[in-house]
Amino acid sequence: MNIYFFWALIAFLFLSQVFLLGALSLRKLLMNHKEKTISQQYDRLTESFSSYMMDPTDDRFLKEIDTVSNQSVVLERLLNHYVAITKGSVTSSQVSQLSEKYLTERYKKQLKCNNWAIRMNTLYFIEDFHMKSLSPLLKKKLQKSFRLNLETQQLIRTLTSLNEPMTLSALARYADAPVRLYIDVFKRLELDIQLEELDAALKHGHNNKVLKHAAVSYIGMTGLMGFLPRIEEELLSDDEELRIQALKSIQHLQYISSPSLLIPFFHSTSWQERMFAARIAGKLQLSRFQEVLSELLGDSVWWVRYSSAEALTQFADGDILLSHLSATHPDRYARDMATQWEASLLGSEE
Amino acid sequence: MNSFFLILSSFIIAYLLFSSLSYLGLFALAFQKVKNENNLVHRESTEVFLRNQNTYPVSILVPAYNEEVGVVSTVRSLLALDYPQKEVIVIDDGSKDMTSAEMIKEFKMVQIPFAFRTHIPTAEIVAIYQSSIFPYVRLIKKANGGKADALNAGINLSAFPYFCAIDGDSILENDGLIKTMKPIIESDGQVIVTGGSVRIANGSTISRSKVEVVDLPRHPVVIMQIVEYFRAFLIGRLALSQLNILLIVSGAFGVFNKERVIQAGGYNKNTVGEDMELVVRLHRLLREEKSKQRIEYVPDPVCWTEAPESLEVLRSQRIRWQRGLFETLWTHRKMMLNPKYGAVGMLSMPYFLFIELLGAVFELLGYFMIFGGFFFSLIDPNVALVMFVVTILYGSLISALAVLLEELTLHKYPRISHLMRLYFWALTEAFWYRPLMVIWRVQGIFAAFHKKAHWGDMKRKGIST
Repeated sequence: MNIYFFWALIAFLFLSQVFLLGALSLRKLLMNHKEKTISQQYDRLTESFSSYMMDPTDDRFLKEIDTVSNQSVVLERLLNHYVAITKGSVTSSQVSQLSEKYLTERYKKQLKCNNWAIRMNTLYFIEDFHMKSLSPLLKKKLQKSFRLNLETQQLIRTLTSLNEPMTLSALARYADAPVRLYIDVFKRLELDIQLEELDAALKHGHNNKVLKHAAVSYIGMTGLMGFLPRIEEELLSDDEELRIQALKSIQHLQYISSPSLLIPFFHSTSWQERMFAARIAGKLQLSRFQEVLSELLGDSVWWVRYSSAEALTQFADGDILLSHLSATHPDRYARDMATQWEASLLGSEE
Repeated sequence: MNSFFLILSSFIIAYLLFSSLSYLGLFALAFQKVKNENNLVHRESTEVFLRNQNTYPVSILVPAYNEEVGVVSTVRSLLALDYPQKEVIVIDDGSKDMTSAEMIKEFKMVQIPFAFRTHIPTAEIVAIYQSSIFPYVRLIKKANGGKADALNAGINLSAFPYFCAIDGDSILENDGLIKTMKPIIESDGQVIVTGGSVRIANGSTISRSKVEVVDLPRHPVVIMQIVEYFRAFLIGRLALSQLNILLIVSGAFGVFNKERVIQAGGYNKNTVGEDMELVVRLHRLLREEKSKQRIEYVPDPVCWTEAPESLEVLRSQRIRWQRGLFETLWTHRKMMLNPKYGAVGMLSMPYFLFIELLGAVFELLGYFMIFGGFFFSLIDPNVALVMFVVTILYGSLISALAVLLEELTLHKYPRISHLMRLYFWALTEAFWYRPLMVIWRVQGIFAAFHKKAHWGDMKRKGIST
């Protein structure tokens, strides 16, 4: 290899870069121009769009959107912005109608696109816009999927949001399906179907433990008090993880029909069970357990000590109790923990 | 003698060519992932975790030494983060200024006798404070022990299973934490460390943890650092992460599984590269346990930091980085080319030794050869010329390519003038910036023999308005 080879190499790389720089600059110019046009169109349509969303009889927007060159992009942005602002509070039939009319064909193509991110975005938008007409296509896609990768997970979420409870059975096909995904599915189901599915999950949980864990967890998260007796039944389960989930749910539900159900957990060999029992006793202000909480303040596990002290702060006489325990508890660590929480109470009053 | 110089110069030429090609190879590995991730609508992909009670809570650790100017705004930006459950722990590592006083005043903090666990021994804890406005904001006042020691103290006090270490002068974007936690949540804990892309904030307008206007700074030294970050993050880190052999998670921002870090013994106080050293130790732990857990990198920028504008500060920063790299590789030399440590031992460690560490030595030799060839007839001027040409290839053209690749994938700088300026300065790299780096990096290797851990001081102007 002589000097000419290296000069040629440099020249080749430099010229390729100059060519690439030119191409990228041109692309940037076009992209910026397009973006500017889209932004202008977006701004121009915002007023009539808002008006249409509040009062569908004002159809100025429908006429205007038909004249816009970047129709689907502008509409997608308007709808996305609207959904982001109103999410969880308002469900609008106009969102579905507009998206079904103007975006269906585009999304059908995008779902087959090679770019993973574009397919994922499309799934998010279909979910946000409640585009039911795409349900059959998504179902087919789910049938063809054999791995529970991120795309399949989002596919399941999207399909569920279109009220397709079949996703629970589809999810059961995957042995590695995580609890959080089942919870995401429950969260997206319409209330009546959701209650049915939760009931079935609790009844037939022995077939699918992950599903049952998710159901118990979800009931606690959303405060579905009607399921309390069923959750309390799970406190007697042989499955430790399920008992822990049930305790966690009771903590969230903030109610227990018979406080004595908690007694075995204060002395459980599992520290998580002791910790949740302590937390529940505090949250529900079960003063009969003050003594056992004082004992747990000297537990061998830091989290149990921490939760017991925190529980004691929930009682009206918590400050006095903690002050007493910080001076007299036989365990050094328990005294430290009581002192910390006593001081923390004082701090919060200042 | 002449043949000796000829062999040496041929070796250096081959080395520089190999390095250049290795950068290209690494980028080829990372290209698709960068491009895909960049197209993703992040609000959509993260909001599912924001509303989920099962999203792991995170302790945010902010080690601070003489940070009175920025510590309050940093904590305020952390309080504004979109994340379901978090606590913020500032660790004042024996500051000589008003760092603690500012925190105590601003957040109405009261001293509490905190019953924390000493997982890792640290320098003496002087006092622990808790905010009476935000009970989950705490301050540890401790004797000076260095950044690693401060982080270890934060780990001891933290309550949650994951912690995020962030520099006091960095600004995390509102959705930065959830984006970085995403791979951990999605993998159900199989990912134990995630590092996010760090971007240079100089020139841009940041307000309330949000980048309002992305712009380039005027100072060429800072522009060159931006180009360098492109190359490091876009080419190096992402590709290594794809292979699960990433050895560096930026000290400015990273999320860690606390239990694993404690198991590994916490941050090492005897090195200035504590961030890299910890990641290598975690890799070592995983390989020795034959664990399938992994370390990942998030290409999307999540954190903004202030780059040094003066050559003096830049010099001390680079010496510190190089010294940290040397110390880490030396500490874990057992892993080098050891098949027991899989791809980390066989690929990643040699890559960091030969490309990242010794690259500076080879380049310095190359400069000697070039000058020697021209002025002292040590080698044939033609060979010196070849070396000069290859040095340009290695420095300027690869950096210019990194700029173009950034534009091809992420295109975060909005104007064509940005692209042109970045490209132009990248082309000049071999003629001024790179020789400076080479000298400082070689100094860094020598500095590794003087053991004294200290904080990397830098005069802050502040990046958030």
